Amino acid sequence: MSKNRKSTVVGIIITSLILIFLVVISNAKIEKISQIGNPFTGFVNNIQNGMVYLKNKIAGNQSFFINVDEVRQENEKLKKENSELQQSLRELEIVKAENATLKEYVNLTDKYSEYTTHPADVIQMDISNYSKTIIINVGKKDGIDVNMTVISDKGLVGHVISVTDDTAKVQTIIDTSSTVTSTISTTRDSIVVRGEIDSDNEIRATFIPTEANVLEGDTVETSGIGGIYPKGIHIGTIKSVVNTKNITNRYAIIETAVDFSRLETVLVITN
Amino acid sequence: MILVFFILYFLQINFFNWFNIAGVKPNLFIVLILCMGLFMGKNIAIPFGFICGIYLDILTGKQIGISSIMYATIGLLGGYFDKNFSKDSKITILLMVAGTTALFEVAVYIYNIARNLIPLQLLGFTKILLIEVVFNILLTIILYPLIRKSGYFLESTFKKRKFLTRYF
Repeated sequence: MSKNRKSTVVGIIITSLILIFLVVISNAKIEKISQIGNPFTGFVNNIQNGMVYLKNKIAGNQSFFINVDEVRQENEKLKKENSELQQSLRELEIVKAENATLKEYVNLTDKYSEYTTHPADVIQMDISNYSKTIIINVGKKDGIDVNMTVISDKGLVGHVISVTDDTAKVQTIIDTSSTVTSTISTTRDSIVVRGEIDSDNEIRATFIPTEANVLEGDTVETSGIGGIYPKGIHIGTIKSVVNTKNITNRYAIIETAVDFSRLETVLVITN
Repeated sequence: MILVFFILYFLQINFFNWFNIAGVKPNLFIVLILCMGLFMGKNIAIPFGFICGIYLDILTGKQIGISSIMYATIGLLGGYFDKNFSKDSKITILLMVAGTTALFEVAVYIYNIARNLIPLQLLGFTKILLIEVVFNILLTIILYPLIRKSGYFLESTFKKRKFLTRYF
């Protein structure tokens, strides 16, 4: 009986570790992984350094005969300078972050000054993996209604699909059910953009006119057709164009201007 | 059970928003309602699943109905599995969780495609579904002792009368 219990506990621990490992690995960025790899690369590099040292010594490299004391002093001096520079860099980064936050608030209202807007905070993301709606903390009491456009300082977020007294549900443009008629800013060609099921920052541009010359880096904005979204709101930038055998089926992947995984503040256009 | 539902709800919207596998969250409501069907019977699990589905649709969904029908179906399946399979086998429970998770998500996705006339994105959907099924299985393995203990306690409470009518 106690053996069974022991194996159950071991099983739970192993499963938990596997789960944590999967979560960490799948969410880790490559830069962080390379930081974890530091001790391993350090070990290999140290041996490699030693080997190079030996090789150079055997080859009679003159650089090993320089005054070691002088080099040590210089090294200490440089280390001191480096720590001072790092300190000032940290201070600058703090100032930069503060500046960015303040700018975001100012830009948010300045950029879309032609519209009457109401600020809101994102209070909840969707619980499902297949739909991408968000809930914001403004509702009927604040004059919010269905089909109102929601934007952020970077660009288009989506539109309100339902509203209660204090909250509103917003269907984002990355939702698979969302379609937005848009134009490519440079060529003024009309396209339709639609959400992708497995991406939080990419949407697909379809119905590209056959004669349209779509280039990577072109910006995309709302066309104003459709009755929900006003004209000229930035959506994103064309990341890649996928050509198919049939030119009418070709599509482009657009990188959204808004980072939906870090969306915190939005504006609802009320007029 | 209502308390457990709300604990799961807040876990889903907060904790699993960052504790996820490649951006994919588990669906613990499926596990909850399946276990209710297994241990408490379909007569409780079906209405509970239906009400939970409607409530979740109102809170976060884009349309009301499909989730409630599917959660109620899972409650019904739980009751069916109870009569035909052993609950003592961990593997059986894990297979039930995998099957009901797949069934729920496929049904909801097909309904969404048909209702909103959106193009099928089979590859993306399959990728997310597989991760979600694995996530649900891993969490069930971790929670299995708790599920079993509380399940048998609930069974003895809710199915007492049934035993009497069945055997005497």
